[in-house]
Amino acid sequence: MPNTPCRAGRCGAATAIALTTSLLGLTAGTPALAWEPQKSVEIVVAAGAGGASDQMARMLQAAIQKNDLMKQPVVVSLKGGASGAEALMYMKQGAGDPHKFVIAYSLIYTLPLAAKLPFDWRDLTPVSIVAFDQFVLWSNATKPYTDVASFTAAAKGAQPPFKIGGTGSKREDHILTVFLEKRTGAKFTYLPYKSGGEAATQLVGGHVDANVNNPSENVEVWRAGQVRALCVFDNTRIAYKSKVAADQSWNDIPTCKEKGLDIEYTMLRGIFLPGKVAPDQVAFYVDLFKKIAQTPEYKDYMEKQALKPAFLTGAEMTSFLEKDEALHKQLMTEAGFVAGTN
Amino acid sequence: MEALGLLLQGFQVLLTVDKLLLMMLGLTLGVFVGVLPGLGGPNGVAILLPLTFSMDPTSAIVMLSCIYWGALFGGAITSILFNIPGEAWSVATTFDGYPMAQKGQAAEALTAAFTSSFVGSLAAVLLITFVAPSVAGFALRFGPPEFFAVYLLTFCSFVGLGREARHKIVISMTLGLLLTGIGMDTVSGQLRMTFGFTDLLRGINFLVAVIGLFGISEILLTMEERLALRGHAARISLKVVFRTWASLPRYWATLARSAVIGCWLGVTPGGAIAASFMGYNLAKRFARDKTGFGKGRIDGVLAPETAAHAAGTAALLPMLALGIPGSGTAAILLGGLMVWGLNPGPLMFVEHKEFVWGTIASMYLGNVVGLVLVLSTVPLFAAVLRVPFAAIAPMIIVSCAIGAYAIQNAMFDVWLMLGFGVLGYVFKKLDIPLAPLTLALVLGNRAEDAFRLSMIGSGGDLRVFWSNGLVGTLTTLALLLLFWPAITGLVSRAGRLVRADA
Amino acid sequence: MSSHDSATPPSHDGPIRSRTLVRTSTVDLITCALLLGLAALLGWDSWRTGAAWAPDGPEAGYFPFYLALLLGAASLFGMARAILSHDVITEAFLTRDQIGRVAAVFLPTLAFVLLTQVLGIYVASFLLVAGFMTVVGRIRWWISLFTAVVFSGLMFAVFEIAFNVIMPKGPLEAAFGY
Repeated sequence: MPNTPCRAGRCGAATAIALTTSLLGLTAGTPALAWEPQKSVEIVVAAGAGGASDQMARMLQAAIQKNDLMKQPVVVSLKGGASGAEALMYMKQGAGDPHKFVIAYSLIYTLPLAAKLPFDWRDLTPVSIVAFDQFVLWSNATKPYTDVASFTAAAKGAQPPFKIGGTGSKREDHILTVFLEKRTGAKFTYLPYKSGGEAATQLVGGHVDANVNNPSENVEVWRAGQVRALCVFDNTRIAYKSKVAADQSWNDIPTCKEKGLDIEYTMLRGIFLPGKVAPDQVAFYVDLFKKIAQTPEYKDYMEKQALKPAFLTGAEMTSFLEKDEALHKQLMTEAGFVAGTN
Repeated sequence: MEALGLLLQGFQVLLTVDKLLLMMLGLTLGVFVGVLPGLGGPNGVAILLPLTFSMDPTSAIVMLSCIYWGALFGGAITSILFNIPGEAWSVATTFDGYPMAQKGQAAEALTAAFTSSFVGSLAAVLLITFVAPSVAGFALRFGPPEFFAVYLLTFCSFVGLGREARHKIVISMTLGLLLTGIGMDTVSGQLRMTFGFTDLLRGINFLVAVIGLFGISEILLTMEERLALRGHAARISLKVVFRTWASLPRYWATLARSAVIGCWLGVTPGGAIAASFMGYNLAKRFARDKTGFGKGRIDGVLAPETAAHAAGTAALLPMLALGIPGSGTAAILLGGLMVWGLNPGPLMFVEHKEFVWGTIASMYLGNVVGLVLVLSTVPLFAAVLRVPFAAIAPMIIVSCAIGAYAIQNAMFDVWLMLGFGVLGYVFKKLDIPLAPLTLALVLGNRAEDAFRLSMIGSGGDLRVFWSNGLVGTLTTLALLLLFWPAITGLVSRAGRLVRADA
Repeated sequence: MSSHDSATPPSHDGPIRSRTLVRTSTVDLITCALLLGLAALLGWDSWRTGAAWAPDGPEAGYFPFYLALLLGAASLFGMARAILSHDVITEAFLTRDQIGRVAAVFLPTLAFVLLTQVLGIYVASFLLVAGFMTVVGRIRWWISLFTAVVFSGLMFAVFEIAFNVIMPKGPLEAAFGY
């Protein structure tokens, strides 16, 4: 691909013109949509730079831009303050504005419970669920335990207790750690780091004994042979069968249930608009994400990040959210993470 | 040597017309965003990242890293001419750079800043070229106690140095540490000191505070005295450049020390900021003649600039080798790499050799081209100072507001900036130092988290800070620095006693 | 501990042309009192959050609580010093002339931030630049107006069009479809 360098300041404008012209050509053939964004659309990221949500936002931005899916430009705005609470409150305050959407994950249930944040996902408008994150139990490759059984055996006898690193406090990684304690009977010390990347390198450096990172957060150190994947916390194995680490594919990792550790947990990646937006505006975004799911960028991204592809929308999505919320409420209450109860 | 062969291949990748054009474009944009207060490196790179999506990865990283170098250079211009640090790590550059400009030595200060930036970056690039694998391993040895020890070292190198009254230093530092604690506490997942205000959730952003403390308060002070910007026009002529360069060999020790500090701290997150302060303080401590620091000494510019740029460049090493970003900008570049389909990590040096060595070669070329570019364009930026102050002042206020807003897209931050402007004005007039406040705002949160993670890990045992050679050395060094004035006092008194006895 | 040994007023670099409006010691006292109040507020909130040393290290409010105590102590010390040395430090914090000039830049800035909230940053910056240049700088009105138009336009082109940075905008931008 020959690359033509953009001259100062012209680049954005040139792209915008290119987008406009190609979209004009495109809409001429397809029936016109009832509503389209009137100005640049903001992708709100409820996490810091470089995190999983940020990467997904950049992928969405690239997919929209490269495939000319929208006339208006897309900007990513990082609102990772207060573990993502900032993004949620920002979306809640933006009621009626169809020019921003947030990439939400389980924080929509955990934050209101753990930090008494005045927020409910019903304040926003669900658009679609675009993927699910799976979680894997990882250990340092230089340690002697090679499977779930020997890991739990070693953890039970450990003094001081094994350390598990994860992202943040009273969130998905922490919940999983508490459940590991309950199901195995071993005691763990949980260390809340700022990001999954940090949890990964801390595991490689031997500062923690295990982590429960998503596949994407640990993939590079796994490929380098520095960590070992013990099991995946899901009812089915990860679908991807091409070799990733030396002799293993994602599909080769057993489920925890197979190994006698009965824990299942996946995390949604969902798109939400602010509350009080018109139905035709929601329809535009549902359609947009349907198109994005067909792009090579999306498919490529799902495989690279080992995400579970999904597309839920409308009533199907709402009923899932209700069930998922109830599950989190139960897990958080059992773990003693609900503010005011511990 | 294998590294040299690979590097030559990297240069071959780069020496094409379109890559060189991209480099120039990136550098110009970088200087531009570096000069705008608050926009700076991370925001500039984040904003310009989408422009690179249609390029191939090597072109994209060449342009983005050149924006990064440009921003590093650009930060020095505003620090020296306007006393407004465009970047967190330029704060220490203002200490002596601005007084130099006041004394009419703006050209010398700028030449010194750019040249020492170049020296610092070069040292770090050499480091990256030859010791990448082993340094990558070193980064892995950093757990929470090690991180805390580094932050402690930074804080301790600061306390006890100020000429101001002790209680004023304490006020400044504790206020900074308190303000940085507002928002979500990562370790417990609890909100604290937010009083139910949504705008306080995200905490107080360091850059917003700095724009107010330095930018707005400077405008207020300037107006109070007279209607002129207290900076001086810089006409950089070849004569001044060569004269400054000729004086540099005298400061080889300062340059070397700062380069080492920078390379070392750059490998850890937040390194560039800590490095610039530490470089400055150590230059002050080791100087034979200690007078004149803060009043416009050239080594007061050389030391922080060399350290900051060495750190800023070295920060790319753990990002490329491990996928750990050593700085905010590196974190955004990391996101970019992933968009282009490259996963940074130990394997990237094996699987994407052309990309890695192209990037490293662009660090050499980008810095050389950058040095020439900034030295030749300074008159352009300095010409701004000949415009009447009544025209410049409102424009600076607007740029500050834009910068403060752009960081988190929050109107509240613009108000906060104004508040910090008043605070900075009052503090400056009361001789309460601003440097401890800014340092605390940057590192306070990270230091607290590192300390508490260490405590959780060790079960509340403080001995964890002496649990291995690395952390033990760091902690001991920090405490030594903290009590250095007391220790030297004791030693000299003991010396006098011995002499009196004899 | 006072830095001034004698009761004579400290010498200035230049002659004082304007009468002292506020003395440095007074501002020192007020600033320290405000900081003490802030320390009390933040300390109280941290105590509420939990400021104990739990078995696994400090709680969320531990550091803020003790930092607030430290800030409070330092502020009290500052207040005591300001009161005790009241007769000695008569250095001017602000003179009448100075406050006029500071207000001449602070009040427009305050108005600018307020206007940004209502009219958006581009219109507000146009008004600030044009107004400040004409009124404070006494620069000819058409030069001021021209500069303000060019500057605001340039900012708009850079942030809104070239870089797609979201800035606060008002009714004028909305009328043009931004």
